[in-house]
Amino acid sequence: MIDVESLSVLYGAATALDGVSLSVRAGEKVALIGANGAGKSTLLNALSGIVEKKAGTIRIDGRFAHVPEGRQLFPELSVDDNLRLGAYRASDRDPAWIYEILPELARLRRQRAGSLSGGQQQMVAIGRGLMARPDVLAIDEMSLGLAPIIVQQLAAQLMRLNAERGLALLLVEQSARLALSLCDRAYVLETGRVVAQGAAAELLDSPFVERAYLGGPIEDAP
Amino acid sequence: MAAATLLDESALSVYVLLALTASVTVGVTLLMGHAGQVSLGHGAFYAAGAYAAGLLAKHGFPSWIALLVAPVAAAGIAAVVGIPLLVLRGHHLAFATLAMHLIFLSLISELSITGGDVGLQAIPPLGFAGVTLSSVRSYAFLSAGALVLVVALARNLLVSRPGRALRALSSSEVAAASSGVAVGHYKLAVFALSAGFAGLAGGIYAFYMGYLSPGSFPVMLSIEYIVMAAVGGLGKVSGAVAGSALVFLLVHGLSRISTLSGMPGTAPIILSYAVYAVLLVSAVLFLPGGLVAFVLARWERPGARSERAAPVSEAKPGDPANEGVTSKHGSFS
Amino acid sequence: MNAFFSYLVHGISVGCGFALVASGIIIVYRVTRVVNLAQGMFSVVAGFAAATLLGVGLPHGFAELAAIATAALVGFLTGVVAIAKPGTNPQASLIATLGVGVFAYAIEVLTWGDQPRSFSGLTGAYDLWGIDVPKQYLLITLVTLVVFGALEAFFERTYAGKALSACASNPYAARLQGIGVVRMGLYGFALGGALGGVAGVLLTPVQPISYDSDVSLFVNGFASAILAGLKRPVLGLLGGLVLGIAESMVAGYAKASYQSSLALLLTLAILIAQAARREALHAVEE
Repeated sequence: MIDVESLSVLYGAATALDGVSLSVRAGEKVALIGANGAGKSTLLNALSGIVEKKAGTIRIDGRFAHVPEGRQLFPELSVDDNLRLGAYRASDRDPAWIYEILPELARLRRQRAGSLSGGQQQMVAIGRGLMARPDVLAIDEMSLGLAPIIVQQLAAQLMRLNAERGLALLLVEQSARLALSLCDRAYVLETGRVVAQGAAAELLDSPFVERAYLGGPIEDAP
Repeated sequence: MAAATLLDESALSVYVLLALTASVTVGVTLLMGHAGQVSLGHGAFYAAGAYAAGLLAKHGFPSWIALLVAPVAAAGIAAVVGIPLLVLRGHHLAFATLAMHLIFLSLISELSITGGDVGLQAIPPLGFAGVTLSSVRSYAFLSAGALVLVVALARNLLVSRPGRALRALSSSEVAAASSGVAVGHYKLAVFALSAGFAGLAGGIYAFYMGYLSPGSFPVMLSIEYIVMAAVGGLGKVSGAVAGSALVFLLVHGLSRISTLSGMPGTAPIILSYAVYAVLLVSAVLFLPGGLVAFVLARWERPGARSERAAPVSEAKPGDPANEGVTSKHGSFS
Repeated sequence: MNAFFSYLVHGISVGCGFALVASGIIIVYRVTRVVNLAQGMFSVVAGFAAATLLGVGLPHGFAELAAIATAALVGFLTGVVAIAKPGTNPQASLIATLGVGVFAYAIEVLTWGDQPRSFSGLTGAYDLWGIDVPKQYLLITLVTLVVFGALEAFFERTYAGKALSACASNPYAARLQGIGVVRMGLYGFALGGALGGVAGVLLTPVQPISYDSDVSLFVNGFASAILAGLKRPVLGLLGGLVLGIAESMVAGYAKASYQSSLALLLTLAILIAQAARREALHAVEE
């Protein structure tokens, strides 16, 4: 569904992405891990058409939705409005099905999005992304700033969506452990280049990844 | 540049006004280019200097003292007004400076001491130690001298330690603040200094013209300074002079053409407004480095006037001011 | 007592005019983060256009609507200059709108000359409880209420209105959802133009306009918008009324020439207080 080949993107004068190739197939769960500034968000922005590419090709078959880092909701608008705006490109703007999947949002539907907790906001952001009825949903740093239990709940939802509806996932995370445990395949991005890729299970065991990325911020659950 | 005072009589009157305008513009460009503040009200400081000088001279003070007080008065007003005003950023500050100009105009139109709508008449001529300046040529030298002084001060400011702090300010106010630069103080200092430049020019203007009225200092005047600064490249001192010259002479030339017989009476206004507008929009949208720099680069003239831009940062119109316009979530591009 | 009420009535209708200008400023700001210095100019253009159209025989109603449409178009064009070029930051846009306003001066003087113009609106007055209420004032107030009702409904209840608000709220996220932020900005400018146009055609019969009337219209409109916190257009109505009534009282009981300074000082005081409070909060956070 997504095929990126030799993508290069500039950020000002610096090279943010250098010859990156990546793919996500239908129904797959792919992780993109890397440190801050590695270029992960830039890659997603390129997929969304927000930043221009200097070289390479991007091919997207089907609908792509991007849940940005830091939630990026419309804080003065209600949860309901935020969700509806997610369907701007789509035809069906009724968020009823989102409230079924994420029942907690139903309770909050009239509240100003800016007044919600971090976990609730992340739920709204994911819901907004889902409203576009994507075939591939990319989520940037879902776990950032959220308590582990919330992250687990969200992750469980995403896995269900993937299993029941065939929603492909592209999870971008600094927290490698989480992403690798959820996904089938993974890429490791370092200063704009793919330095490792393969089955998630293998990368979990690789000493390179372990040294660089698995000493990371998420503590093991007790 | 001061050497260019060897001109004939008719050109001299243009020269005087041009030099005075350029002096103000230098201050405006410093403010806009390095401290990131749009001032829609610098005409008020010009007027303040003029009225201060005129009032003192009329009330018996020696004229040269009155002239020296002019920039001090203007800078003083700026310092006082600036303390509350400079809390504002971006468009709020722009509006506040416009408001300041309008309030000032309102004041001088109302107060009887400033002569109300009629203004000050018969200002005694400028004199010093028995010598009276009465010829246009003498004012040409004086205003050129003022311009040279202003340019020298501005250049000095930019290369000094405060000046480097200033340029840090222009690239990122937040970064400058976190590295210990007393942001507020510097902004106020530049504001006051630029007002001082305008006040000096205004003081000379008062003696040159011999009379003042609120009508001499409309809001449009403040806008003209902005146009000239933008054309020359915000933050570039020589650009301010070149930009002033370009715009002023262009408008003046068009005025001459448009007052030829056969053209409607409103032609001068129409042409000058159109020129200001087109230059301003082109400069701000397409050539933030300044039209002048652009033209020079194109023609590749081996520089007699080889002005290097401030090396740290090419003044971009407005990055620091964006702090106030809270674009937390990205820009428009 | 009669004087008080007549000042009040005058203040209300003038305030409505300010409110309309304010709503234009607020909407453009909400959608594009740009303060449109040319907002007052939209009213002037509409007033002139209406005067001309009425002069060539177009009936009342049609002439005004055509004038408003013209102002909307001018608004759109202003938006093109201000935001259509990618990479224009809000300060550059601000200056660009200044340039457009000055350019408009040239066009206005070229087309209509430099003298004030007016046209007659509703003549005569109603006698309401012993107070003389000029019919034009009533018209102004009525139209303003209707317009603001429509604006409120648009922004709070329609999808398009929400999309426009989203652009102001979070341009990046808006783009991610596929909302064309620049296109929305242009619509915002056009809407601002139309609102300015409404103000222009309503106010010109009461107060002749000339090419430089835009400054005081902008100043008062912006002041009202500031009082409203630059957020919801409907608050601009409150801000406008407060300002209009205050100015009318000052003009009536004190000196007319002080009224604009009042508006300015009030606005500045509020702006500075708001900013100072924000600075204080930041300092606390550190």
